[in-house]
Amino acid sequence: MDAAGPAPRPERRWRIRLRRDRSLLVMTVPAVVLLAVFAYAPMLGLVTAFQSYDIYSGFWYSPLVGLRNFERLFQDPIFWHALENTLVISAVQLVLYFPVPIALALLFNEVASARVRAFVQAVVYLPHFFSWVLVVTVFQEMLGGAGALNTLLRRHGYETWDIMTNPEAFKFLVTAQAVWKEAGWGIIVFLAALAAIDQSLYEAAAADGAGRWRRLWHVTLPGMRGVIVLMLVLRLGNALTVGFEQMLVQRQAVGRDASEVLDTFAYYYGVVNNNFSYGAAAGLFKGVLSLLLVLAANKLAHAFGEDGLYRR
Amino acid sequence: MGSHRLSRRGLLASFGVIAAAPLLDACGSPKENNPGTTSQTDLSKVLPAFVPATAVKPDIASVTGAAGGVTDPTFLSYPANPPKTVTGPVGSGGTYVTMTPLWGAIPPSSGNAYYDAVNKELGATVKIQPADGNTYGDLLAPLFASDKLPDWIDIPSWNIGKLSFGEAVRTKFADLTPYLSGDNIKQYPNLAAIPTNAWVSGVWNGKLYGLPIYSSGAVIAGAYFYRKDLFDTAGVSADIKSVADLEAVGKALTNAAAGQWAFDDLFGDDGAYINQLYGFPSGSYPWTERDGKLVHRYETDGIVEALNWHAKMVKAGYLHPDAVANNSQNAKQRFWSGKVAVCADGTGAWNGDDTKSGAAANPSYNRQAFKMFSATGGQPAVEIGNGAGLYSYLNKKLSDKQIRELLSIANYLAAPYGSAEWLTVNFGVSGKHYTMTDGNPLLTELGSKEIATSYQFLASPLSPTTVKSGNAQVTKDYAAWQADMVKYLRKPMFYGMNVSEPAQFGSLVQPMKDTITDVKLGRKPISAWTEAVAGWRRQGGDDLRKFYEDIRTKFGTGQ
Repeated sequence: MDAAGPAPRPERRWRIRLRRDRSLLVMTVPAVVLLAVFAYAPMLGLVTAFQSYDIYSGFWYSPLVGLRNFERLFQDPIFWHALENTLVISAVQLVLYFPVPIALALLFNEVASARVRAFVQAVVYLPHFFSWVLVVTVFQEMLGGAGALNTLLRRHGYETWDIMTNPEAFKFLVTAQAVWKEAGWGIIVFLAALAAIDQSLYEAAAADGAGRWRRLWHVTLPGMRGVIVLMLVLRLGNALTVGFEQMLVQRQAVGRDASEVLDTFAYYYGVVNNNFSYGAAAGLFKGVLSLLLVLAANKLAHAFGEDGLYRR
Repeated sequence: MGSHRLSRRGLLASFGVIAAAPLLDACGSPKENNPGTTSQTDLSKVLPAFVPATAVKPDIASVTGAAGGVTDPTFLSYPANPPKTVTGPVGSGGTYVTMTPLWGAIPPSSGNAYYDAVNKELGATVKIQPADGNTYGDLLAPLFASDKLPDWIDIPSWNIGKLSFGEAVRTKFADLTPYLSGDNIKQYPNLAAIPTNAWVSGVWNGKLYGLPIYSSGAVIAGAYFYRKDLFDTAGVSADIKSVADLEAVGKALTNAAAGQWAFDDLFGDDGAYINQLYGFPSGSYPWTERDGKLVHRYETDGIVEALNWHAKMVKAGYLHPDAVANNSQNAKQRFWSGKVAVCADGTGAWNGDDTKSGAAANPSYNRQAFKMFSATGGQPAVEIGNGAGLYSYLNKKLSDKQIRELLSIANYLAAPYGSAEWLTVNFGVSGKHYTMTDGNPLLTELGSKEIATSYQFLASPLSPTTVKSGNAQVTKDYAAWQADMVKYLRKPMFYGMNVSEPAQFGSLVQPMKDTITDVKLGRKPISAWTEAVAGWRRQGGDDLRKFYEDIRTKFGTGQ
């Protein structure tokens, strides 16, 4: 950055940087192209949210209807209910799911035997690679009405425990499933953060007489703080995405009232009913809200002196 | 089209209309918002004549019932000397691209000896291109939109909702009326042997477009099946006359501690099965009349009673827990393994293949169906469905000569069960793709690999009841049951009229389906249903009623 001599004029400086970073920039080209083709170009389809889209007319000939789809959306009680469900499930997941991978990472970090650690890590990673259909089936086979647990209870004359079909408990059920499936995978990034902590800090703390807990509190957690905040910001940006397949697969078991979230709403009332514009409007609303959430969370991160998604 | 605003896009669209205008039929001005339907008088003018097939005599002849219903011809073995029904050349060497749905593995397309053999018989190159049946509807929409339809395409009725079909059929597909209406069809005798009822839903806007696939004169939503072996062991009577009798079965055959429940879901998706017991209309033809006013199935007392009864069965604990979780994927396994003694299913579930699957789980397995009954014990009334669930269509771009060639090919493909042509179309080459075993054709290894339902989705004869997996008794049982069932058939309002509802009404259904599921399983009280119906009326149900009252005034009710 600090070139010797008098500072060059801005455009020359820009050109110098371009020349200097040429190879790095070339390396980003594939990613940029991928994003442009698969993320940005499809965004043009958002225009359907402002149209009365039908397949024969296509994007070009479908009549524009302004904000009519949004007017209808905001008057639709099912939409508001879906938004409420999304926020509630997201909040429950934030409180009950988010801390789990951090705690797991700390636990793993304390395991002395590398072989035991590698084994347990592999075991908890594995469910990440299962599809939601499989995960729900496993839960159904264990906890469902005709599953292992209830069959045992029934055989011994006890009341059954119908967790899989209880709409009230659904938000906790989906969180439990998310923990089972994703928590192991989620620890990777925290383990990386732990590995990056300077070991000499621990030695110094130990020399000063700090016990295990004090070292955790004064060295480990501060060392992980940046990553934790980053993950939290990302999590908030994704707050309105609480899992489509997971909800879709279990919708029949608990009913719409418990399981309708924004993504399933867009699917059932947009795609299934051939009302693409309506679904697109719901999707766009979700996208804008998510963007606002991520920006707000990032601002909060900056206020606490962290980097967040990007440096100011 | 009339709703376009005058903008750049609107203008472009108008040019499109002007360019297309000469192609449109005289009766279809571009401004007309065509509902797709046809009145009875117009229908009678375009329907083909019916000349039953005589080449082969079934082992159990068809029985005629009420409302034009007729049972399927039943064969206990394949005729020893299959007669030929088509003489002379079939095609004239043309090459045609097709598209058909397929539920199963797609066979190899190049070097497929079965395709080659059939095409040789056809005297033309009919390129078979099956596509996954489960996502077929999603494939159709872009094909229609981009106008890249093949020469000959199969379209399942359940996929047309997304295609604005009443409009599309006129601009995309060939009008077959001049070739097939009335006595014209007699030059294609195998097509003429398809019953009149099956052609009805192939008629759109007063013209015949669709060739019926797998037609039948006794299509109904389904039946209530029971495990005769379990009933006999427990000494429970299967002579069910009302839901009260059924309830007694529920009590007698439920033993949850032993992992056995009397019932699976008895309601069906959107009331698909239980409407036969409670006499309210089906989802396909949802309207009925009360004092001259149209009443929707959601507004009937029947559906309320059905919901109440089903929820009561759930509360009593007679339903398998997975059924209470509304999981229908494993319903067959539950029935086969005897965890459930009574289930509701389509009539296609009852055949020799099913016996084989059931016996694998349970050697004494015996599926039977209750005779038709009504909830209250009175005379049952069973709604007759469309004579065919799929239709194939020819591309409008084809020339007169090409259309004639394809209809001649269709005539070959529609050769009745028992004929030599039928064997070729369904089983390929004798000794190579199939062998005759116990009087019935059985696929060889090569046959199983190369043959999948393909040509049949372009044209097929009246569906027979046949022996599957060597179980002749099931075939006889089914034929006897069907002969009893057809006595109770009735035609619903707007039967076979192909009414294309405006798209805005599409969103009315999902909330109702969701509420039905909640109430039938006892998750919500019946008051939730009453509220949902009130909401349905407000959000468009009453407008939908007006739309159908208009149809009734202009086109009648299809009776």
